[in-house]
Amino acid sequence: MNMPLSRRNFIRQSGLAMTFAVAGKTLLLTPGEAYARSVPFSILNQEEVKTLEAICEHLLPGARENGVAYFVDRQLALDPNDSLLFIKCFNIQPPYRDFYRSALAEINRISEVVYGKSITELDQANAATLIESLRDGNVSGWNGPPAPLVYHFLRNDAVDVVYGTMEGFADLGIPYLAHIEPPRAW
Amino acid sequence: MKKPDKVDVVIVGSGAAGSVYAAIFAEAGKRVLVLEKGPVRKLTDLYSSQIWARRLKWGAPHVFEEGRDSIWYNFNAGHGYGGAAMHHFGVWPRYHPEDLHERTRYGKGLDWPLEYEQLRPWYDQVQEDVGMSGDAEKEIWRPPGAPYPLPPLPVFEHGEILARGFSALDLRTSPIPMAILSRDYKGRPACIYDSWCDAGCPTGALANPLVEYLPRATRAGAVMQSDSYVTRVLTDRKGAKAMGVEYYDKAGERHELLADAVVIAAFTVENSRILLNSATDVHAAGLGNSSGTLGCYLMSHPAVNIFGLFKEETRCYLGVTGGQLFSQDGFEKEKSRDIFGSRQWEIGLGTKPNDLLGIAMSRADLFGNDLHKFVNRGSRHLGAMVGVCECLPHKANRIELTDSKDRFGMRLARSTFNLDDYARNLWRQTADLGVEIFQAAGAVEAWHSPPGGQHIMGGTIMGQDRNTSVTNEHAQLHDAPNVIIGGPSVFPTSSSVNSTFTAHALALRSATHIAGHWNGLIA
Repeated sequence: MNMPLSRRNFIRQSGLAMTFAVAGKTLLLTPGEAYARSVPFSILNQEEVKTLEAICEHLLPGARENGVAYFVDRQLALDPNDSLLFIKCFNIQPPYRDFYRSALAEINRISEVVYGKSITELDQANAATLIESLRDGNVSGWNGPPAPLVYHFLRNDAVDVVYGTMEGFADLGIPYLAHIEPPRAW
Repeated sequence: MKKPDKVDVVIVGSGAAGSVYAAIFAEAGKRVLVLEKGPVRKLTDLYSSQIWARRLKWGAPHVFEEGRDSIWYNFNAGHGYGGAAMHHFGVWPRYHPEDLHERTRYGKGLDWPLEYEQLRPWYDQVQEDVGMSGDAEKEIWRPPGAPYPLPPLPVFEHGEILARGFSALDLRTSPIPMAILSRDYKGRPACIYDSWCDAGCPTGALANPLVEYLPRATRAGAVMQSDSYVTRVLTDRKGAKAMGVEYYDKAGERHELLADAVVIAAFTVENSRILLNSATDVHAAGLGNSSGTLGCYLMSHPAVNIFGLFKEETRCYLGVTGGQLFSQDGFEKEKSRDIFGSRQWEIGLGTKPNDLLGIAMSRADLFGNDLHKFVNRGSRHLGAMVGVCECLPHKANRIELTDSKDRFGMRLARSTFNLDDYARNLWRQTADLGVEIFQAAGAVEAWHSPPGGQHIMGGTIMGQDRNTSVTNEHAQLHDAPNVIIGGPSVFPTSSSVNSTFTAHALALRSATHIAGHWNGLIA
């Protein structure tokens, strides 16, 4: 069943809206809107952001513009009990930022070692090969958190921002049918 | 409001069991205080979102999981008012009589200290209290009991398609026993089948603690206190009686609360952890551990999700999360020399695009544009069911303390869990059969998930013999009978059925008995 809904119509109601401090003001933005306005990050540094966006974009095209880095960054600032990240469902000792930082640094290091360039510069074929080795846990010289977990967590962060929202359901053409719509801020 | 320093009963945890104890003790006129580690939750907080649903899961303190198999503690446990029962799916079958006597009947596992007939009236009462839906006659495997108060939930395309596979293999299905309303009941509205159960049901159609037992408790005068983290049970000098609990409030301030009775209903790992951390000179190995079995016999159901793509539209995003149909064909335990344990199927799971049990995760190997294509197709054509298997209790599967500590200096817990070969073989057989069922139903493609863990039981098991168990049949510690344990941590065997209904029934039985014999048992 195709619903007469468009992504644009749903931006306003997105379940991933968050508060962002911009130029002394507090704004309510979706991660995608935050991405479009280049809002500053609070936990991840610039290199980590670029790495996260690059690999998530390869994992699920659209993740970058849907603000995956903003979603992850905001959640990493929270108490683990309040986190909405997929990693929370797993047996990972908080703080989760340690896992992400270690994983992102190692992805970039491996990319440099194997391909002589950052993950942000990899073409699709090389990125896919790297992702497959993460998924299958056979990255030669990997020295970070368990690679298959890195694959799953980053992949699901991408899925969350692309398909886990009201706009994502609209893109799939399936009804969201909220009892209570996710709020604009958390 | 000033915090009380003395009550009749302090209850640690506000989930399935804690809420029942709170209601029954408060209605018996006891001064009850419920201490909940997490925040206040109201029905209006339960946003329809698989992302927001993660608020309801456990986050900290961390549980170190070791062994070959995970118990999936964070995924199964809860955080905040209502505990894990806030995100449970409401699938409520009963334990079978043979589940309670495995040692005697099969020479494996353990025996419970009670018969099914002693549990039966409490199942009947709970299903009446909360309003269960089902069809007792068509659920041919169901042990004796009162009919369900409500007719079964409807079956939609998803369930009908999967049922074809069962029929083709001469396997039977029935309406699924659900703690979800198929009709309006006691002022609560019927379900509208949009499958947000996992995110917490805000309409009141699914029987989470906020809709029945916690309101009863507070109406009878029980007080709820959030953000109160209990670290220890305080005992008298002889160690034979609890005096109350130690807890920390949100500001990190330490409190000692005195109580005539202490109910520990903080879910499976925390129940053992609190008792182990309550060690004194008298109970050097932990409170309630004179048998040496505190923390032991940890269990979790090995589960396998079966997925398939069908030509027809399944509309898998509708219905209820826990399934539309049910089958316990294959429940008999002695399957072969190498396979032991019961099995059940929950058929036609409500499935959203994202999260652990979502459409995208069903093909965790895919990424890039292949993942886009799959999610688009799967959102209309995916079928999903879960096979839930039994695991036997083993003493070596256990909860212990580590040397790592939380911010209040209390030692963190470690679980060690290894499925035995009986359970591994049962899981394998179930996975293969599930795929065969989907193929028989006409799936274009069919596959299964890796092993998962559903429900967590054991650690403070009940038993007749105080030398081999932690609690008696009413979940009182053998060593300190005014300490009562709530939840599936008291189960001596796992069966393959979901644990929440039995946790309710046991709590109702124990609370009613103890409240009725207060002077002899507690005072």
